[in-house]
Amino acid sequence: MDGEILKVIICSGTACFVMGGSELLLLEDELPAAWRARVAVEAAPCLGSCKDRSCGRAPFAKVGDEGLAGATMPALLALIGRKLGETNGA
Amino acid sequence: MSGPTFVELGHYQVRKRGQGADGDAFLSRKASDGRIISALSDGLGSGVKAGVLATLTASMAVKFVSEDIPIRRAAGIIMKTLPVCSERRISYATFTIVDIDSQDTVKVVEYDNPAYILIRERTQVEPIKGEIRVTRSGRGRPARGAVGREAIMRYSEFRARPGDRLVFFSDGVTQAGMGTRAHPLGWGAPAVQAYALSLVEDKPDISARELARRMVQEAEAVDAYAPKDDISCAVVYFRRPRRLLVMTGPSVDPARDAEMAAIFDRYEGRRLLCGGTTAAIVARELGRTVKIVLERVVRDVPPASVMEGADLVTEGIITLGKAAELLERGEAAVRAERGPAARAAELFLDSDHIDFVVGTKINEAHQDPSMPVELEIRRNIVKRVAATLRERYLKEVELRFM
Repeated sequence: MDGEILKVIICSGTACFVMGGSELLLLEDELPAAWRARVAVEAAPCLGSCKDRSCGRAPFAKVGDEGLAGATMPALLALIGRKLGETNGA
Repeated sequence: MSGPTFVELGHYQVRKRGQGADGDAFLSRKASDGRIISALSDGLGSGVKAGVLATLTASMAVKFVSEDIPIRRAAGIIMKTLPVCSERRISYATFTIVDIDSQDTVKVVEYDNPAYILIRERTQVEPIKGEIRVTRSGRGRPARGAVGREAIMRYSEFRARPGDRLVFFSDGVTQAGMGTRAHPLGWGAPAVQAYALSLVEDKPDISARELARRMVQEAEAVDAYAPKDDISCAVVYFRRPRRLLVMTGPSVDPARDAEMAAIFDRYEGRRLLCGGTTAAIVARELGRTVKIVLERVVRDVPPASVMEGADLVTEGIITLGKAAELLERGEAAVRAERGPAARAAELFLDSDHIDFVVGTKINEAHQDPSMPVELEIRRNIVKRVAATLRERYLKEVELRFM
């Protein structure tokens, strides 16, 4: 559905920040213009995923209800794209 | 922690015009039992020689008194040690020694400096002063004619109350402007006292540092900006302490989360939360939300957040490390920097008493060898910040590990 906003949360806890999360905080600037109105970028003090090994490795992000470990800008954008596609198709 | 107040010390001085060195000396020291001892000494004459004598006197005073030699006796020893000028038959250095214990009992010994000013509730109070007489005899006294001469020191003791200010200075202040048409006999003690009172009247929360500076600058002005003597002033301000709570790190025992949140909630003073997990715990326990502010992101430190009841919420290790670095570089570095670490450092600087509550749980993810930077253990960073605050900024710091 077009009206729905996809919430992206980037963890800015210590581990995530040093493992590359600091770059992810600039996601807003990297979003394609067409997506901007449909994506809300937020940060969290700590998502808590770094304390659970089964979650994978920092940096972590969350796109909608899906967690992303070892996040990089391309991986994050790809996931957002897929999510937007999914919501579109739904 | 010392008494009911925070003792702020301020000092300022200018040297006699044309001299390359200060002839007055001011020293202060915190003894191991929490007493704060300070001494202001004015060496005879000006320049290097006066400076050496004044420093010698002030060092002896501070050292003796902090080593528990009673202030009266210490003053006596100094009097007997100080040489007397062979020609002018006056002592080489005057002094004011102030000893403040942890219950704010103040003992002052004055020798030939102008009388101190005690300001309480915007008026001047004058404690009763006793005399201490020291006969300056003894072997090897170099001064001819000085043998058997008595030196009279004034001793007073009082219990400081919150808000009290003790102002003491060298005679460069009272004698400023001497010989000028406006002040033929110098600025004079009554005028100096009136000026000190007027500064406090105008600005009731004036800091010790500013009061000392303004006193000296006014004396300098009375001296037509060409000081004819060293001018120095020290101020002790018994301030109601500005308190800051710094909570950082989760406890090793999750059962203590509620206790941490309660400490945070009940704290009387400002509150700083350093650490994502810490903030999350406090927020969860108190039913509040933490929201990151993404507008002012700086590159090297994670962004700050806002939470009801907290003056500042930051990430932990990186921010504290950066704040420690800024504090070590000095106040100017803190003021020049932006971002959460600088804001945290400013909170530290604007507080007198800082309570750290430090959770000692170690985040294993931080110990991952593939981390591009080495993350310090929280406890060590906190100790580093605490040491800097204590030693460099004379803050009262308490650490509590959970």
